[in-house]
Amino acid sequence: MSLWLFVLRRIGRGVATIWFAVTVTFLMLRLLPGDPALAIASTNMTPEIRAELLNQYGLDQSLPVQYVKYLGELLQGNLGMSFSQNIPVGDALMQQLPWTLLLVGVALVVTVAIGIPLGVVAASRAGGLLDRVVQVVAVTGQSLFVPSIGILLLYVFGLQLGWFPIGGAYTAGTYGGEWYLSVLSHLVLPCLSLVLVQLGAYVLTVRSTLMESLGEDYIVLAKANGLPYRRVLWKHALRNALLPTTTLIGMQICLYVVGGVILIETVYAYPGIGRGIYDAVTRLDFPVLQGAFLLLAGVVVVVNMITDIVYGLLDPRVKVGSS
Amino acid sequence: MRSTRVITAAALSAALALGACAPEAPQSGGGTGGGQEVTDATLTIATTTDVVNYNPLVGNSRSDYWITNLMYPHLLSIGEDGEKEPELAKEWGYVDDTTGFYELESGLTWSDGKPLTAKDVAYTLNAVKRDAPAGTLYGQLSNFDTATAVSDTRVEVKLTKPDASVIPEIGFWGNVVPQHVFEPAGSVAKFANDGSDGGWVSAGPYVLTDVQRGQSYTLERKDDYPLVEGGKPKAAKVVYRVFPDVNTEILSLKNGDVDVIANSLPPAQVKELQNTEGVTVQEVPGLGYAHMTYNMTKPDLAKTDVRLALAHAVDYEAIRRVVLQDQAVSTGSSPIMPVLKQYYDDSIKEYEHNPEKSRELLDDAGYKANSEDKYPLSFRLIYSLQDPVTTQWATLVKDGAAEAGITIELQGLERNAYLAKTDAGDFDIYAGNFAIMDDPATNMSLTYLPGGAINYSYVDDPELTKLIQQAQVTFERDEQVPILQEAAKKVRDNVYDNVMYTQNLYVAHRSDWSGFTVKPSELLSIVNPISVASATKSE
Repeated sequence: MSLWLFVLRRIGRGVATIWFAVTVTFLMLRLLPGDPALAIASTNMTPEIRAELLNQYGLDQSLPVQYVKYLGELLQGNLGMSFSQNIPVGDALMQQLPWTLLLVGVALVVTVAIGIPLGVVAASRAGGLLDRVVQVVAVTGQSLFVPSIGILLLYVFGLQLGWFPIGGAYTAGTYGGEWYLSVLSHLVLPCLSLVLVQLGAYVLTVRSTLMESLGEDYIVLAKANGLPYRRVLWKHALRNALLPTTTLIGMQICLYVVGGVILIETVYAYPGIGRGIYDAVTRLDFPVLQGAFLLLAGVVVVVNMITDIVYGLLDPRVKVGSS
Repeated sequence: MRSTRVITAAALSAALALGACAPEAPQSGGGTGGGQEVTDATLTIATTTDVVNYNPLVGNSRSDYWITNLMYPHLLSIGEDGEKEPELAKEWGYVDDTTGFYELESGLTWSDGKPLTAKDVAYTLNAVKRDAPAGTLYGQLSNFDTATAVSDTRVEVKLTKPDASVIPEIGFWGNVVPQHVFEPAGSVAKFANDGSDGGWVSAGPYVLTDVQRGQSYTLERKDDYPLVEGGKPKAAKVVYRVFPDVNTEILSLKNGDVDVIANSLPPAQVKELQNTEGVTVQEVPGLGYAHMTYNMTKPDLAKTDVRLALAHAVDYEAIRRVVLQDQAVSTGSSPIMPVLKQYYDDSIKEYEHNPEKSRELLDDAGYKANSEDKYPLSFRLIYSLQDPVTTQWATLVKDGAAEAGITIELQGLERNAYLAKTDAGDFDIYAGNFAIMDDPATNMSLTYLPGGAINYSYVDDPELTKLIQQAQVTFERDEQVPILQEAAKKVRDNVYDNVMYTQNLYVAHRSDWSGFTVKPSELLSIVNPISVASATKSE
């Protein structure tokens, strides 16, 4: 199979996945208990006002009509208007997405940069004191409850020590370089929380797969050939151990980019997309939720494709057309 | 490692994309110039939600209300004793049974220099009646016909029938909007007023100048605001910051990042903040109540004895002491709260907590307890899971009913599902809160008249209906009060509503800020326009 055919097939599969996600989201939202008019307007509104609102939202039409209209608009790149904010959904999401990308991206880089070496160190000293300490720390980190660790970090580093600001993404009234510094200082604690809860998964994954690799024949052969242990460990064994880690990175991106950081964004008053989804759920803002889940589906499809390509780069056995 | 490089590149791309979000420094040299500065302090206020709607005729959330209130004045406000007070209108009342009036303060202007006149008031009321926006004001206009500006400072309101409450209620609930901004936009029900067409125009103490959604809302001082002492707001800027988590909000207050928390504090946090150095906790009288209504369309709950049995099974004192930590007061089971001093009748007493009495009432009503001492009565009580206080006391209500041999099944619901079930009457017992019940005649008409918008018990008692309707057309306060007190007693004696308590609210601010004016209810508290404009910061 040629690379182009492979890519085309993956795109086709991706489009089908997105259509399926869009359809399920559309139907699920309309099965939710509650009434968007009630969620947005005063509870003692008259039946006439409610009817007017439902008409304005297009919710007075039959489900098939709503669905066909929605798909038609979607094909034209129109995600609709937010019920509650009265602005285009695309604008609402794009105001929030960069903040989430920044938070998740930086946290991922830091997590990978710390997690992989820690996993390697633990595996290379398996059974030793350092390995046991790393395992305890990793398991503890995985079991942390995000809001609790968030409040704890804010209390210690924000209130008691005063090193970092409490809440928000930047300080109002700052401009230029000062604004970038303020963004950085506001990023530290939410990022640290995310790193703390994600780190364990990377450390433990790298450790277990690396220990498996270290027992393989080719590693024994490399050692027998007189290659230095560090080179065997970092160059040969780790490369194989990175395959599951790549899958984990892909999964973490999918998990956190849309929605997965709701709790962190809420505790830190960080204006990302997770908070946008939370607000949209409380207000039954169907268009925003549909747009957010469409984005999620898109991210999952794209990240999966990238993961497949990275797999091929890391493992020569995984080649297009090898099947 | 390639994967790490890919991620690094992604993060850097995000950072670069974010660079596009960096705000530009304001242009210098365009200052307002000339005005004498009272103080340049910035008052930072914390809230838990973003603004949903900038149109005050549509907006419904607390943040909408707090921020738009600083720009669009109300005709009337309310005092600590629950009496209406002047705001934009210095006088109000009735010319005859079907004609009311407001006499406005003179000299107010919009921030674009145009004068605020009676025409703006008349336009606002007529447009709301015409376009029926989903906000609270429209609900007050059922007996409203038309408003006319008879001079620059006087508005006359024609009613479709006599109504003693409509003038104070319209004045209290309605914001006045600028005709020259809203009229060209068409329907006031659909106008977003999001500032996209050249910003906002304000006649309040501040005008919104910058919105960072999810982050902050910045309002700048309007130099002429005659409703505050000295004619000019004290703080140069007001910044509303959004903290979705109340714990973060409180840390931010302790830290000094914010000066005021606008929303009322959770009962469990009040004592701790009262003992925090640099923080002042202020008590705000509640204007609403927590209650349970029994759905009288259900055969068992249609019986007064069953409702009374349920009412006597509740330990109200324990709920107020344990759940609300003594931050609530009894209304004597009356729908008229003690804060409304002119109307309150202290001879009405709260239902006694007495499960034995409940059993006697059920025996008398012909119900027979089984071998386990349980009556064949089982009810489903709904409440919102987003309301932590009600969620706690619902369990105590269930336990109390069990003592009386009545089974209560608790159904905690997500807020939207709760609202939908409430609206559809899909419950046996409803537990919840009414936030502001400022006018007994209006509130009783909404809660106890057949077809009333919030008549959740579905009560239809001709005698009660007659009393409420009589109160609505009684213009003399001395004559109206005894009628409403009789109606309240009827509600209490027949358990048409089981009013549990009125909660005293607590708000907190940094101690270096003072001069706030406390008004009842969470919507007004210390963040009402006069209070915000009067607050000063000491060195």
